[in-house]
This record gives sequence, C-alpha cells and structure tokens, in this order.
Amino acid sequence: MVARSPVAPPDDPALRERFEREVLPLLPNLYGAALRMTRNPQDAEDLVQETYLRAYRGFSGFREGTNLRAWVYRILTNTFINSYRKKQREPVTVPDDDTSDWYLYDKLGASNVEASAESEVLEKIPDEDVQRALEDLPEGFRMAVLLADIEGFSYKEIAEIMDVPIGTVMSRLHRGRKALQKALWETVRERGLVTD
Amino acid sequence: MSPTDCEHVLKQIELYLDGELVASMRVEIEQHLGGCDPCSGHAAFQGRLKELLRSKCGCDQVPPELVDRLRTLLDPPHAHPF
Repeated sequence: MVARSPVAPPDDPALRERFEREVLPLLPNLYGAALRMTRNPQDAEDLVQETYLRAYRGFSGFREGTNLRAWVYRILTNTFINSYRKKQREPVTVPDDDTSDWYLYDKLGASNVEASAESEVLEKIPDEDVQRALEDLPEGFRMAVLLADIEGFSYKEIAEIMDVPIGTVMSRLHRGRKALQKALWETVRERGLVTD
Repeated sequence: MSPTDCEHVLKQIELYLDGELVASMRVEIEQHLGGCDPCSGHAAFQGRLKELLRSKCGCDQVPPELVDRLRTLLDPPHAHPF
C-alpha cells in the first residue's frame, strides 16, 4: 500500500514543473486504465484524481532513476485495490486452463473465414465489445493483460506494479489472454462476423 | 521443419511477442518464423490480437471535468493570509 505522505505537494517549483511535464501527460492512459479497472466512469474519475493526489504528495520522495511510469501505475493499482475493489462485484468464473493457446485462431480457421483473413475479422469487432471482454476478466487477469498489452509494460514492471512474482504475471497473462480469446469468439459469433 | 521445432516455437510465441525472450532465443524464433508459414501465421494473428486491445481500448476521451479537477487540485491558488 502506498502510504499517504505527510509532505504537502512539492513546493519546489522545479519539482512541480517536472510533475506537470512528466506525470500529467500520462492522464489519457491512466484514465483508460482506470476505466478498465473500475468499469465505471465516475469511479474511474475519482480513482485517477486520488492517484494524482497521492503521486503529487509523494513526488518529492520519488527517486531519480526509478521508473516513473511504473511508479505512477503502482499508485493507481494500489489505490484501486484499497479503495475501489471492495465495491465491485467480482465475476466468479476463473479462466479454465484447458483452452487452447490458439483458441480464436483455430475457431476462425474452422469457420468460413477466408484463408489469412482471420485478422480482418478482429478489426470488425466493435471497440465496446473488446473493452467489455477485457473488463469481464477477473481482476488479476484483467490488470496483467491491461498492463502488458495496452500499457506495454514488461513482465518485470508488471510484477512490481502488482506486487506479485514474475511467474504469477506470466500465468495470469497466459490464462487471461485465453479467456479473452473465448470472449471475443462469442462476440464474433453473436455479431455474425463469421458464418458457421 | 520438424513438428518438434514448430511445437517448441509455438510455445515461445507469447514470450516472443511480449519482447521477453533473450536475444539468442529471439533470433532462433525469428529464423524459424521466416521459413515456416503455419508458425508465422499463428504469430501474426497473436500479434494482431495484442494490437487489437491497444487500438480498441486505448482511445477513451478524458472528461474535460476531470482535467479541470486535476488542474485545481495540482495548482491550488496560493492564498497568503498575511
């Protein structure tokens, strides 16, 4: 947990300037991540605001050479876990491990999708459906996939942000992505993007 | 291309696409993908799947009220009561 620093927001103008230059531009990504975490725009706004407040308060203690983006995402993640998670209704389904690593590719290949057009089907899936598929993943899996695929963090960074071993990150990514493939296949079928 | 090679390579695709393989292993995978259509088809699809998430989940508009709230929060008027 990120302790609230008793230090007021940095008075040092150079530090404030650096915060504005390096942390404020993360806002669009942080807001997107907060939306996927909370699944609710109002909570996402509050979560982002609380994250910025904590980051601002703690910024004077931020050590040069530390990964600033990962540091901010760790605050976001901790704030979410401590303040918002309890309010959430968690999906009880855990991705099963029997699913093929290539579930979606195989399904598309077995349907009437023309050869090498599998990727084009993906592009036709509406944004909201992809977002919902991600949001429906259980929290630990959702966060790992979000941090890796949307935010581009390395396994090591994700392990630090989520405070879990790298092996756990790998397993959550692997299983989370398989569950996502199943959800996307459902969407593809429901939307009639393929004919069986 | 032996099936064992393909099996080995397909197991490494996730790490490969995540940029988590050591250089020597990465080169080995790339060499295989260069000469194996089925494996490179799998890898390309999985890569598109990763991109799909980024392109379809990374474009939420930040509400202007939130920007205003943050500005107020981070740049409070410095009232000097003296």
